[in-house]
Amino acid sequence: MSKPIFQLVDELPTNNMTIFVLRSLDFVVPGEWQNVVGFTNTVRHVTGETDEELIQQIGERAIYLYNDKSQGYQRAMWLYQTVDSADAALGAAAIANKVGDKIPLLGGLLTKVTPKAEKAQTIDLSLKLVVELVAFCQINGIPGDSIGDFVASLGEYSGESLMRMAGLVCIDGLIPLGSDFILKGLSYLSQTTPSDLEQNNTFNSVKSLIPGGSTAGQLSFITESFDSVKGWMTGFVAERGLTPEKVVSNMQRFVEISSDKLDYLGAFLDMTTNYYEHTGTQTLARRLIERASAEI
Amino acid sequence: MTFPPLRKILAPVFLAILLMLTACGTKTPSRWDQAQQDSTNKRTQIQRDNTQKRTPTPNAPNRAPVVGKPLSGATFNKFFPAASGGYQRVYTQEKQGFAEAKLKKGSKDLAVLSISDTANNPTAVQKFQQSSQKIGGYPAVSQGNNGTAILVGDRFQVKIQSRDPAFTQSDREAWLQKFNLSGLARTR
Repeated sequence: MSKPIFQLVDELPTNNMTIFVLRSLDFVVPGEWQNVVGFTNTVRHVTGETDEELIQQIGERAIYLYNDKSQGYQRAMWLYQTVDSADAALGAAAIANKVGDKIPLLGGLLTKVTPKAEKAQTIDLSLKLVVELVAFCQINGIPGDSIGDFVASLGEYSGESLMRMAGLVCIDGLIPLGSDFILKGLSYLSQTTPSDLEQNNTFNSVKSLIPGGSTAGQLSFITESFDSVKGWMTGFVAERGLTPEKVVSNMQRFVEISSDKLDYLGAFLDMTTNYYEHTGTQTLARRLIERASAEI
Repeated sequence: MTFPPLRKILAPVFLAILLMLTACGTKTPSRWDQAQQDSTNKRTQIQRDNTQKRTPTPNAPNRAPVVGKPLSGATFNKFFPAASGGYQRVYTQEKQGFAEAKLKKGSKDLAVLSISDTANNPTAVQKFQQSSQKIGGYPAVSQGNNGTAILVGDRFQVKIQSRDPAFTQSDREAWLQKFNLSGLARTR
């Protein structure tokens, strides 16, 4: 059986590669993300309540809702967990190799990672976007009575959800694919065939929950999803003046890498972080607790 | 050079292994274990009265009447107060028997507004039965520091929870009456 929700939230780390990377992205969405961990602590943080009896009731209701499979929370959690494929051992090795405050991403560590081809990286980026869309609907339903209401609810991304999107743009877009990652992504997707998709490990893991029916249908769903958020992503990058150099210079506070090795940095971050799962767990817990608190 | 007998070496090694194994096997009990166990037990349902555990009454469970299947969350959207006077209402969740919206002013979250069908969670009705307070003619309760709720049509819980200290108890009472409560009361 999968782990209970309270255990997943209790086990969220406070000091590993994922946390270092997310902290280094604070400049993208200043002050939005606090690493709230621990189930009881999250109930307090979300509701602002202090009465232990009330906290107990809210937490219990949240656990009941999560364990009711028809509610969709477990599917959302599975998606966030599955789309990330971190190698915990490599992450631990990287931290063990720290010199002072920095991880030297040279020599031995570098030989353990292989940069992905840009097409494969594009598929990974697109799959993370689609997972976000599907998980959002599993967690929140489709709020409101109109498309406008739905778009407004998407526009409410803040806190750990906004940080997850910042991670997506920086770690899976700008660093591995460069400044023109949106155009590049669209161009690669237009050349992607259903059989390319079938050879992609991440796709094979999550395909059961991607709408579209056949692989060809799923490919067009993925392409349409990418196309529909390109405006949002372009705005996000432009408003903040984000460039690969800017992102890397913030990361150079904790990792030592030369700027001509960005593809290696991308592969290294891909293998040593699970920022989607981490912030996805935080988002799910928050929405679940909000609902529990309203229903008791 | 003499070697100590083998058992003298092995004894501490075994002791260390034993300690490690028992340490790994012992899980710290959590205040949430009981709820986890109850909600994953196939015989119990999500509507289970979770206060039963604290005051066990095996023969006469203190359950509220089950009122049938919960209505779809979309049923409730139209009863939420409209946005006006610089306030914005943003719908945030819509699940079976539940709809939620944020009340905002500018970029600030002021409160969470919700309507839930107690068919999902009959226990929620009990607190109203013990209260003499009324808002807009409906049974009302305060919960914790931030929540105020009313029970409409003996079935639907309308609740407002503050997310900003400036949004007070009296704001919650005023905004509860801005919902279309009579429309909601007629819903079945």
